Amino acid sequence: MSSEWILDKNHLSYWLRQLRKEADLIGPLRKPGGDIVFESIERIHEIFLDLPALIPGPKEFLFPQYEKLFNKRDSKVEELSIKRKRVVFGVRSCDVSAVRLLDRFFLDRFEDPFYSNRRANTLLISIVCNNPEPTCFCAGIGTGPYLREDYDIQLTDLGERYLVQAASKQGIRAIKAYSFIFSKPTRTDYDDQFEVQLSAMARFQKRISLERVRSMIITGKVRDTFWEKVATRCFECGGCVYECPLCTCFTVIDRVFGDEIERARIWDACLFKGFTRLAGGVLPNERMVMRTKRWYYHKLVHYPEVIGSFGCVGCGRCTIVCPAKIDMATVAIKIKALADNEEKIIEQKE
Amino acid sequence: MKRRSSNRKNNIYLPIKGRIESIVPLTEDVNFYRIRSEKPLSYGVGQFFMVSVWGYGEVPISVCSLPEKPEILELSIRKVGFVTNAIHRLKEGDELWFRGPYGRAFPMELSINRDVILIAGGIGLAPLRAAIHWLIKHRKKVRHISLLYGAKTPSQLLYREEFTQWEKEGIKVVLTVDSPEDGWTANIGVVTTLWHHIDVDFKRAVAYICGPPVMINASMLDLYRFGMPLSNIITTLEAHMKCGVGKCGHCYASEKYICTDGPVFSYEEIKRYRLL
Repeated sequence: MSSEWILDKNHLSYWLRQLRKEADLIGPLRKPGGDIVFESIERIHEIFLDLPALIPGPKEFLFPQYEKLFNKRDSKVEELSIKRKRVVFGVRSCDVSAVRLLDRFFLDRFEDPFYSNRRANTLLISIVCNNPEPTCFCAGIGTGPYLREDYDIQLTDLGERYLVQAASKQGIRAIKAYSFIFSKPTRTDYDDQFEVQLSAMARFQKRISLERVRSMIITGKVRDTFWEKVATRCFECGGCVYECPLCTCFTVIDRVFGDEIERARIWDACLFKGFTRLAGGVLPNERMVMRTKRWYYHKLVHYPEVIGSFGCVGCGRCTIVCPAKIDMATVAIKIKALADNEEKIIEQKE
Repeated sequence: MKRRSSNRKNNIYLPIKGRIESIVPLTEDVNFYRIRSEKPLSYGVGQFFMVSVWGYGEVPISVCSLPEKPEILELSIRKVGFVTNAIHRLKEGDELWFRGPYGRAFPMELSINRDVILIAGGIGLAPLRAAIHWLIKHRKKVRHISLLYGAKTPSQLLYREEFTQWEKEGIKVVLTVDSPEDGWTANIGVVTTLWHHIDVDFKRAVAYICGPPVMINASMLDLYRFGMPLSNIITTLEAHMKCGVGKCGHCYASEKYICTDGPVFSYEEIKRYRLL
């Protein structure tokens, strides 16, 4: 189910203004200091359309850093579910791909009601990345720079106009209600889209095959000494975890405010030493290398086995935030170098 | 994108209210709690509940009873961390909230027509108490039952008053301690020094193990050497947990979530997933 339209850029503000009447509109905004962040949009013309990889990403809107779960007063427990509608404009293809995986994680088996509520009330409008960043590597994973399916609404910038694609009921509704500003795409529009996609694919500076990395790991060719080297560099800042659109570990805290008790969940990171500490003080993952391996194995080995795709969408945020240069892309490149080296040795022997 | 409709019935994180009906101190730091639930419960041997004290948090606790009375839940809780200390400050009649049951139960049907060995260390006897009650209930279908139980000191042995009852039901109870106290006549040492006390066809028997990781490892290895099939060696693992439903990530180990994929695993699975 995918329907396509053309939207003249002059009509974008009108459309967003209409969408804002029914929901909170969130989009990229340039702050006085120069940072570009996702925020609630007051003035539509301030939306920043020339998107870099935004940090923090849009994970916050579906899985907030601090999320109130319950409020208890006397013997009554109130469930704090947010049912407010939201439109998040300007997310990237990699972010949408990540949400697709988060849906499976949070909604399968035991449905997480807090995520589910936010998800059902959020419309994601993604923009195809015509100009990938030097840190991006989604093309090699198939999570970007454009999506073929499973988006709400996807916009492709074709100069003066957007090619608008909608693939969900919510997405189609958000367009059909204002159908008078949308027109049917022509042959030229599709030709232009094809050009833009080709040129975007050609602009990637990083070409990483996580599949190659995975096969190196599962065949035991990446030794513990390699992970030791990675681990000794780690500052345990947790930046990669917090910025990763697929990292969802949380801890739960209770806070007492007079006669009211609030139970909330906050982001946690498996890279922290105390993450697995048992009552009594036993630390199952005391050594840093165990936690480093856990993070990489979870994304590169566990995810493909259980979910069928990598636990990494190639957004490159960990590359930007990691102060130690032991992010996914760098480590993958190092492992690939090991593989290349190995091949060379084999060739020499032959 | 597909969205699941949110017409679910229950919030998986919402605990239900229970009331502490009685508290029995079992040892210096372990209390036995009998809890009356507002709603009827159904649970299996080896499953656990997330027990909740508002203002402090939640902890995973194995249930140590059978669901014979659907509104009654029995838990043995050791005072060891922030939340369990808060639980120990509660009195009879106080509220204790919980949600569950979670996790895989012990495959008790494995014990039918087999010899059964129960191996426990310290507080690890709590989930096995439910197993013992199950075995007593199905006594005619089960062959020899032996319990090898170790604790640091004699006064740290749980359920001492129930041992005679268990022996009356034909369960061989063999005890051991690390450091004896006055009047202790039984074994001294780790549980794996007790094998000669039991006369079992290891190749056809089934073992249920719960205790500290070192004890679990050592007993599993011995049983394996005695020829017990890997899939008949059953244990349950402990992990830090915040949610109990495979979301918080704390108990994740080697591609498995202890809470939803376990906590009960066979030795075969433990070897395959390198869980210990």
